[in-house]
Amino acid sequence: MRLLFILGEIGGGLRRNLSMVISVVLVTFVSLTFVGAAGMLQMQINQMKGYWYDKVQVAVFLCNDGSTAVGCASGSATKEQQDNLQAMLESPAIKPYINDFQFESQAEAYTHFKEQFSNSPIVDSVSEDQLPASFRINMKNPEKYEIISETFSSQPGVETVSDQRQVLERIFSWMNGASVAAIGVAAVMIFCAVLLITTTIRLSAFSRRRETGIMRLVGASKTVIQLPFILEGVIAAVVGALLASVTLWLMAHFWLNGDLSKQFLNTPFISSTQVLVIAPVLIALGAGLAGISSLLTLRRYLKV
Amino acid sequence: MIRFENVTKVYEQNARPALDSVSLEINRGEFTFLVGASGSGKSTFLRLILKEDKASAGSVYVAGQNVANISSWRVPKLRRGIGVVFQDFRLLPQKNVFANVAFAMQVIGKSRSIIRETVPEVLKTVGLEGKERRMPHELSGGEQQRVAIARAVVNRPGILLADEPTGNLDPITSMGIMGVLDKINQNGTTVVMATHDDDIVNEMRRRVVELKNGKVIRDEAKALYTSMIPVVGESRRLRDASGEELNRAQGAQL
Ligand SMILES: Nc1ncnc2c1ncn2[C@@H]1O[C@H](COP(=O)(O)OP(=O)(O)OP(=O)(O)O)[C@@H](O)[C@H]1O
Ligand SMILES: [Mg+2]
Repeated sequence: MRLLFILGEIGGGLRRNLSMVISVVLVTFVSLTFVGAAGMLQMQINQMKGYWYDKVQVAVFLCNDGSTAVGCASGSATKEQQDNLQAMLESPAIKPYINDFQFESQAEAYTHFKEQFSNSPIVDSVSEDQLPASFRINMKNPEKYEIISETFSSQPGVETVSDQRQVLERIFSWMNGASVAAIGVAAVMIFCAVLLITTTIRLSAFSRRRETGIMRLVGASKTVIQLPFILEGVIAAVVGALLASVTLWLMAHFWLNGDLSKQFLNTPFISSTQVLVIAPVLIALGAGLAGISSLLTLRRYLKV
Repeated sequence: MIRFENVTKVYEQNARPALDSVSLEINRGEFTFLVGASGSGKSTFLRLILKEDKASAGSVYVAGQNVANISSWRVPKLRRGIGVVFQDFRLLPQKNVFANVAFAMQVIGKSRSIIRETVPEVLKTVGLEGKERRMPHELSGGEQQRVAIARAVVNRPGILLADEPTGNLDPITSMGIMGVLDKINQNGTTVVMATHDDDIVNEMRRRVVELKNGKVIRDEAKALYTSMIPVVGESRRLRDASGEELNRAQGAQL
């Protein structure tokens, strides 16, 4: 009976304040979408780290015909130069630092390139001899990249030594920045959401002060009086959180695992199922925020 | 049933107290009128019984319990034992008569079947049989007040507080309302009614407690609205109070 009564009160409250309730839904929706996006970015970073960190290599690129580096003055790297580099890699000075290494010829480089950009028109404009051959080195400790770089950069026939890890780190720091920005936007939006929930509850309490006054006089408990208001805010916020979750899932499903994964074949994107982990967090966050802010508002504006 | 022990209520620090060291006992089943000029502290007296306000000094006992010792989560229980009626009825305009009375039962969790059984009974007691489906705006003032009384007593409280319940009604309608309150009192409910209506008080001949500037200046059984013999009252307190008045008057002269 009391439950039915409370449900009825909530329904009435939601209907009476429909426009305010809709704005609470929208603001929590937007703010939690940003929170969720930040969460997804972090998940994506972790995923990529896990996937790439044992695959990243230091690449020693050899000169090809078009190379302009100082070490490439004599044109394309010779077989001798290549053997010399291989001997250096196997020497006792370098060997302790590396797990293993492979040589990637120009032909192999071209094959990989074609795989990587299979649906991009760029493939047609690149020919085999434009791509450099390289030694792909797996470091025991990727931090020791400097040693390889110092030893090999000045060797004849070497165009450049590149650390893929550094490239990755740059990408990760960019993604981290983006997630911090998303959190910043989310914080502002959450602040708005809290203010809006507070105002909504206040208006709602004001418009129903007759009822609550009578409830108080006939001895209704604090819970029966306050719960409809609190749940009104919580329900609106949870609807917003659900919308945010659905949006994030759609983003993961159709964008990350659709378009983006076709463009970046080698990038491991988080799956849409993984995104579902974020949903309960968003719902709990929305419900918690709404619950606490309505409770605090009621303490001030609804005498019990 | 209700006992005030040296109760003082000060709303604003520098203002004169709304109630000034009031001691008073109202027994179970009694019908008591609370009279006095505007601002004499009648509504304050009633609010203290409900624990709507806290006494600044002294103790208020309701059904043997000091209300100051009732924790906030048990205040609703106190209020379930007290019905309240106001001058302005305070009905819910969008609910019909039945729903207005049922509301008081719903919010404390009474079952639907008990509500369906009790509400018509109570409406019959207050003389509103057959008007269950009317909306408040389709009722006269007297009828609206009857609905409010029905709502106040539907949970069978031991005490009924009425703050100028006839303040908005004409004399004949008022007498009708008094009939209802009397009937409720006959059924064993303690009734405390604050009023300015001398005709009613004179007609009913019940206990009258008169307040002036927050002090009890008269407490008479079977009394009239204004005391016939102002100084010689039933209680010593009365003499004390008027003695004080006399002193103050003399002080002013000096
Ligand atoms: N909430 C309040 N805050 C400050 N002062 C108050 C408050 N309520 C009442 N008072 C003051 O307390 C005194 C007693 O007020 P109270 O309402 O009890 O009088 P009353 O006898 O009911 O008057 P009336 O017959 O006009 O209803 C008045 O001086 C009033 O101004
Ligand atoms: Mg009053």
